Amino acid sequence: MNIIVAIKHIPSIADDLPVNGSNLDFDSVDFVLNEFDEQSIEQAVLVKEASGGTVTVVGVDLIGELDNVLHLALAKGADKAVKITADDPGADSHQQAGWLAEAIRDMSPDIVFTGVQASNDLDGQIGPMLAARLDLPYIGGVSSVDVVDGAATVNKEFAGGVGAKYAVSLPVVVGVQAASKPPRYAPISKVRQIAQTAAIGKVAPSGDGAGAGLAFKKMAPPVAAGHAKMFTGSPKEVAAQIVELLKGRGLA
Amino acid sequence: MSNDIFVITEHMDGKFSDVSFEMVGKAKELAAALGGQAVAVVLGGGVDVNGFASDSTIQVDDPALAQFNPEACGKVIEALAREKSPRLVLFGWTATGMDLAAWLSARLGQPCVAYVKGVSLDGGGLTVSSQVYGGKMVAEVAPQGDMAILAVLAGSFPVEAGQGSTAASQIASPVPLDGLKVKFVEAIKPAAGDVDITAQAKLVSIGRGIGGKENVELAEELAQALGGTVSASRPVVDAGWLPRTRQVGKSGLKVKPKLYLMLGISGAPEHLEGMKSAELIIAINTDKKAPIFNVAHYGATADLFEVAEAMLELL
Amino acid sequence: MLTTIEKIIFVLLALTSAGFFFHGVATIVRSVRAGRPGPELKSVPASLIKAGITVLFQRTIFKARRVLSAVHLGLFFGLITYAFVNLVDALEGLVPGFDLVYGGRHLAFPFLNAHAINTFNLISDLMSGALLFSITVMLVRRFIVKDKRLSYRENVLLHPKVLTGGQAVDSLIVDVFVIMHVIARLSSQAFRLDAGPDPFMPIASAINGLFGASETGVHVAWWISLGWVLFILPYITRSKHTHFTVGPINLGLAKQNPRGQLDPAVPLQTANGNHYEPGAKHIHDLAWKRLLDPYACVQCNRCQDVCPANFYGRPLSPSALEVNKRYLLKEATFGAHPDRLLLPLTETVISPEAVWSCTTCYACVRVCPVGNEPMADIVDIRRRLILDGAELDSGVQNALQSLATNGNWMSKGKRLRGRWAKEMEFPIKNATEEPVETLWFVGDTASFDERVIPNTQMVARVFNHAGLDFGILYQNESNAGNDVRRVGEEGLFEQLVEQNMEAFGKAQFQRIVTTDPHSFNTLKNEYPQFGGKFEVKHYTVALLRLFEEGKLTVKNKLPHYKVTFHDPCYLGRYNGGFTAPRKLLELVGVEFDEMPRNCENSFCCGAGGGQIWMGKVAPGERPAENRIKEALATFEKNPGDKQQLFIVTCPKDMIMYSDAVKTTGNEGRIEVRDLIQLVAEAVGVEEPEMVA
Ligand SMILES: Cc1cc2nc3c(=O)[nH]c(=O)nc-3n(C[C@H](O)[C@H](O)[C@H](O)COP(=O)(O)OP(=O)(O)OC[C@H]3O[C@@H](n4cnc5c(N)ncnc54)[C@H](O)[C@@H]3O)c2cc1C
Ligand code: SF4
Ligand code: SF4
Repeated sequence: MNIIVAIKHIPSIADDLPVNGSNLDFDSVDFVLNEFDEQSIEQAVLVKEASGGTVTVVGVDLIGELDNVLHLALAKGADKAVKITADDPGADSHQQAGWLAEAIRDMSPDIVFTGVQASNDLDGQIGPMLAARLDLPYIGGVSSVDVVDGAATVNKEFAGGVGAKYAVSLPVVVGVQAASKPPRYAPISKVRQIAQTAAIGKVAPSGDGAGAGLAFKKMAPPVAAGHAKMFTGSPKEVAAQIVELLKGRGLA
Repeated sequence: MSNDIFVITEHMDGKFSDVSFEMVGKAKELAAALGGQAVAVVLGGGVDVNGFASDSTIQVDDPALAQFNPEACGKVIEALAREKSPRLVLFGWTATGMDLAAWLSARLGQPCVAYVKGVSLDGGGLTVSSQVYGGKMVAEVAPQGDMAILAVLAGSFPVEAGQGSTAASQIASPVPLDGLKVKFVEAIKPAAGDVDITAQAKLVSIGRGIGGKENVELAEELAQALGGTVSASRPVVDAGWLPRTRQVGKSGLKVKPKLYLMLGISGAPEHLEGMKSAELIIAINTDKKAPIFNVAHYGATADLFEVAEAMLELL
Repeated sequence: MLTTIEKIIFVLLALTSAGFFFHGVATIVRSVRAGRPGPELKSVPASLIKAGITVLFQRTIFKARRVLSAVHLGLFFGLITYAFVNLVDALEGLVPGFDLVYGGRHLAFPFLNAHAINTFNLISDLMSGALLFSITVMLVRRFIVKDKRLSYRENVLLHPKVLTGGQAVDSLIVDVFVIMHVIARLSSQAFRLDAGPDPFMPIASAINGLFGASETGVHVAWWISLGWVLFILPYITRSKHTHFTVGPINLGLAKQNPRGQLDPAVPLQTANGNHYEPGAKHIHDLAWKRLLDPYACVQCNRCQDVCPANFYGRPLSPSALEVNKRYLLKEATFGAHPDRLLLPLTETVISPEAVWSCTTCYACVRVCPVGNEPMADIVDIRRRLILDGAELDSGVQNALQSLATNGNWMSKGKRLRGRWAKEMEFPIKNATEEPVETLWFVGDTASFDERVIPNTQMVARVFNHAGLDFGILYQNESNAGNDVRRVGEEGLFEQLVEQNMEAFGKAQFQRIVTTDPHSFNTLKNEYPQFGGKFEVKHYTVALLRLFEEGKLTVKNKLPHYKVTFHDPCYLGRYNGGFTAPRKLLELVGVEFDEMPRNCENSFCCGAGGGQIWMGKVAPGERPAENRIKEALATFEKNPGDKQQLFIVTCPKDMIMYSDAVKTTGNEGRIEVRDLIQLVAEAVGVEEPEMVA
């Protein structure tokens, strides 16, 4: 089975995010693996371990540092790693999905895993877009995947512990919310060893390269960030304001 | 090309989600400004479809739509969108809308904005604000093109504006829905028994400010009135006032409810680790310098008992 | 004395006994040599002699349990005396006319005068008494009083033989042997006293008074006395009493490197061409010295007594670890279960949960009378578990992942590390941009934790006030890796060392000062192996120096505070940093009460070795809570109405103890403060209004 994981390298939100004009100042942010991609890599490796196959991790190299992430994925059990050398830190989900789709099409996938979302998915996630471009079904919010005889059984989560089980014939694109087991830890000595020996496939971006079609007007921290909006007045007045707020949001 | 706004509503167990109404309300306002119609789109049946304040409501019923099926929904929405060319298609940024919005965008080659918090029209131009980077940034963008697909965060607009009584018209699916590759098998219900605070939409969380075991009941009453459950900081659990399954934080559970109402919790980093991504955080604390106020969205320097009792009277 | 036939029988028995004895010794040697090479030992003979002297004065034993240690003195000197006594007794049996009673009245050996013989007789007689007394105390303690310290918690993994009381049987056999042996020997002397009491043999004379003299008695008693010895010698090589001889040897071969320097994950000398996987999965993955430990182990449980994890109810007992190793080796070498050696250590000697409970506080190693290092095994087991992808505690995994990506365990961006400095009222130099005299290595907790930052900023103010030329590394600093190494993530430790070495390379400085004792330890003791040879000081030492140089002077004494001080493991026990903090407390003029467990005996706060990262927290009284109670009890001995402070010099302590004060409900009675706050107050440095 040909298991593909499409990943996203995204600005780290552990740091302050500097702005340049109306978008992030991509030169002064650190890039990290999307946290949901950790889940999708784990789910892919779990599927491989249970049902056989090879796991290929593929991502767009935006700043020339994707190797670190790919090495980590290999250390966690992926078999191959491929980077699409775009060298454009601002490439949006649409562009990335376009390049990824071209690369993945050539790999004739049986199942494609993506993280259910990323914190920079301003123009939507790459998973559904990949599915649309590859003409495959997509199912997201997934918290477990079992593959038997060319068909997958997946659990999709709705809110509040409610979910549903779906049967999907392969190939399919899956958006993973949480792997069926917590992602494993890759010991750094193993990662470093892989970094010295592993060959990472390189692909040039191909396809139409169409972007999201969004014009940026502004990028700024939310106005009230940093401190709570304070309710004032007597406890009764405070309570009234809280209840009003909750009612307004459909929470009471 | 039309100036209509399609709202893809969502329902489960015979009830529409709040965000469906929120979107209809917003769509109405925008449609009025654009000179189009706000159209509520209902996929599947088993729900009262006549309660929206939309200009019109269309219900597509088909056995394949009996339960949420991303493939079937996608096909129907794509066909409708191609046929009717609305100006905007609104989805909720929810477990269902998330499967569809970006997919539709790629299918139609039209722009998409996710994590939407606000939509405005200035001089006919559309500006959408989106809460990205884990809420650390708000982006304002103008989608280029004839159509835009927006995926809206729940709680962005008032619910009431979308509630009304528009009679729906039923139509058959515009595309055949056979030979689907995705098939619904069965629903998964949350396990009964012990409360799972990670699966709760509303938590009333208590800290040492609650003072003693005898006061936990007050928090429980409040939680009940709100339709939620009581969770706690570690000291409360250590003291045996609540079982360990209720502890939030580093050495407890990580929660992400829609509402996290904090009574007498100071906001130690170990606690924050477990709850900082809650959608709405309200903190009541007598200490105006309590660090929790740097994290909470709303707060009040007040006595938790007085506030809780007053809230109970109002609920 | 003996008849010819008796002599022949004796010699034959002695040869058999020696055969079994040497077989035992050879087996032990073989099983120990199956371990991996350990760090090179320097000047072994000298160390052995030193250990011999230490043992002779019973120094290491008196580190704990004073009363029992005194009783042990009786055992120890008694048995040493008996080594000679047995030799002499053998001579008495084999050499005709060799008879020592009454000053050796028939003795034909001119060089042995009566004085020497009487002295010997007196010593052996009294020592016999001492031995009997000590053994009885030990027996009473184990079997009648049932000293809890000799038992293990129910949740501790124990070898089946231990569970079924193997240790007690072992003790009983040897104790009964000693009693029988001593009584027999006393009797054999008593039966010789055919001319009434010998003043130099008071106990034997008393027995003689009861039974009189008897030639047959002499023979029977002699045979019982020495026959036992012939039986017990081989037995000892198969029992826990190997500690008689292996103990002192082990002590002589004990860790020579600094306490704060862990042995490498793979042996450094791999000249023999062997390939080693890092860490330990099976018992033979441990260094040979770790395999000698169980033979040296007295099974006294002193280590368990001081173990904070054991106190906290965790399934960890360092002594059970050694005892299990002992029984595992024994059943593999002398018994029928060599196959059990192939089982992972986490199934045979220590449970995985126990492995992850160790705070690496070093207390067990410090207290062990025979130089065992249970902690070293634990770290080695962790190393392999991590490498083999064992499931980690979620908190530990998050911390390690963050350390790998962000260089800190708090999931904070690198650039935020210097934020506390940027928020100050004066600029703090970036040591990678301009030369500084003192490079301040701040550490994660002190850089990021809101509760500790006020202390960090106060250190900066005091340094600034003293005119110290200092700077920090800002985003170039990474976690020093002390706890990363101790949690077993050797690869990540190396990565962090490389990152810091690169940062040090960019900076110009003369010495490093740290706020965090953990960083201090690894920078001082482990970085040199990676080429980082710097002068490293803890800030308490730096502050003291500033006082001594007159750059800081006390303006206001602080007699209104009553304080106690907690020695952080990695400053105190690991690196002997006991005096600087105490001198500072003296300088600032507070009333200082020492807690019972102080300096070398300090009790770990429970945070070290990665414990502070743990996501799961067990129920039970936490070590830090116990420590706060200890502090309050100390204050109570000398009550008054002064403000009571618990003084710390480690950022992690600040967090652990502030939390413990809350959870024990002692707010208002005791407050946790960093020493820097007292120093600042005394020298008149204050936090400016606007910064708050
Ligand atoms: C390794 C480690 C792991 C930890 N893990 C966790 C964890 O998982 N979860 C967790 O929660 N903690 C954890 N902690 C503990 C954490 O550090 C804090 O001690 C704890 O979160 C504090 O709980 P609190 O806010 O309830 O108590 P406090 O910090 O004592 O705060 C009580 C608050 O109540 C306010 N108050 C008092 N009376 C009233 C009143 N009448 N009305 C309104 N407000 C009032 C006070 O002003 C104060 O701010 C951990 C600590 C450590 C060291
Ligand atoms: S190092 Fe400390 S915690 Fe670990 S086993 Fe020894 S005494 Fe116990
Ligand atoms: S390891 Fe040392 S302290 Fe522990 S039981 Fe053995 S001899 Fe005693």
